[in-house]
Amino acid sequence: MADDAGDFARSMSIATSGLRAQAGRMRILSENIANADSTAQTTGGDPYRRKVPTFSSELDRTLDAKVVTLGRVRTDTSPFRVKYEPANPAADAAGNVKYPNVNSLVEQTDMRDAQRSYEANLNIISATRRMIQRTLDILKA
Amino acid sequence: MSINDLPVLSALRTKMQWHQERQRVLSENVANSDTPNFKPRDLVEPKFDRAGGVAGSVGSLAMMRTSGSHIGTSAGGPTFAQDGKGGFQTRPAGNAVNLEDQMLKVSANQMDYAAATSLYGKSLHLLKTAIGKG
Repeated sequence: MADDAGDFARSMSIATSGLRAQAGRMRILSENIANADSTAQTTGGDPYRRKVPTFSSELDRTLDAKVVTLGRVRTDTSPFRVKYEPANPAADAAGNVKYPNVNSLVEQTDMRDAQRSYEANLNIISATRRMIQRTLDILKA
Repeated sequence: MSINDLPVLSALRTKMQWHQERQRVLSENVANSDTPNFKPRDLVEPKFDRAGGVAGSVGSLAMMRTSGSHIGTSAGGPTFAQDGKGGFQTRPAGNAVNLEDQMLKVSANQMDYAAATSLYGKSLHLLKTAIGKG
């Protein structure tokens, strides 16, 4: 990268790290939504457990800036939804079936939040690009 | 005397550099808008004296007290302005970034930068006129 555009390039790299982290978050959320009804394969076993993305801010030494990365993906430890369905192959001896602890409404809300943050990062990139354009316009003056 | 020594141009250049650096700080804030315990930051605005030089601590890092047992320094305020007027906007995870606020700052930063660059261009044009090419 040219030395002159160095700082702007850094701004864009930071925003890109934000884009990447939010995209990863959306991937995990869609995984949750897709598996909202995935029951266990075995009798009385545990179904899909909700995953929770985490973010962490770390110092990128080449950029000398705090970029954001998708941290460890945790699992939600809240209890499963239990339904009485004796006919279900995944039911235990008492006829109860465990369903994933995914609430699709919560996931949808989180998805909107991720989308909003993604757009904010995109806005940063386009604003930075416009600033670079202004710098180049000095040459034309 | 080179072109860079002209007070107007050097002041404008400092201002443009400041906007560049501020853009970086603001993009850090936005990128970390979901990171727990992240506090947004902003840069202190540069102040110029009559000769176009920078008055204050922008440009070179001033000494700062990092511990109460240090001898106090008289010169130099903080380089980073503490952002976030209201603590009430801090989310339960300890994140205090307000996206609307940051976007507002980004667009203001961009417009001020545009103003500085066009002023710079106009000043160059003035010089061209003076040497009879404009």
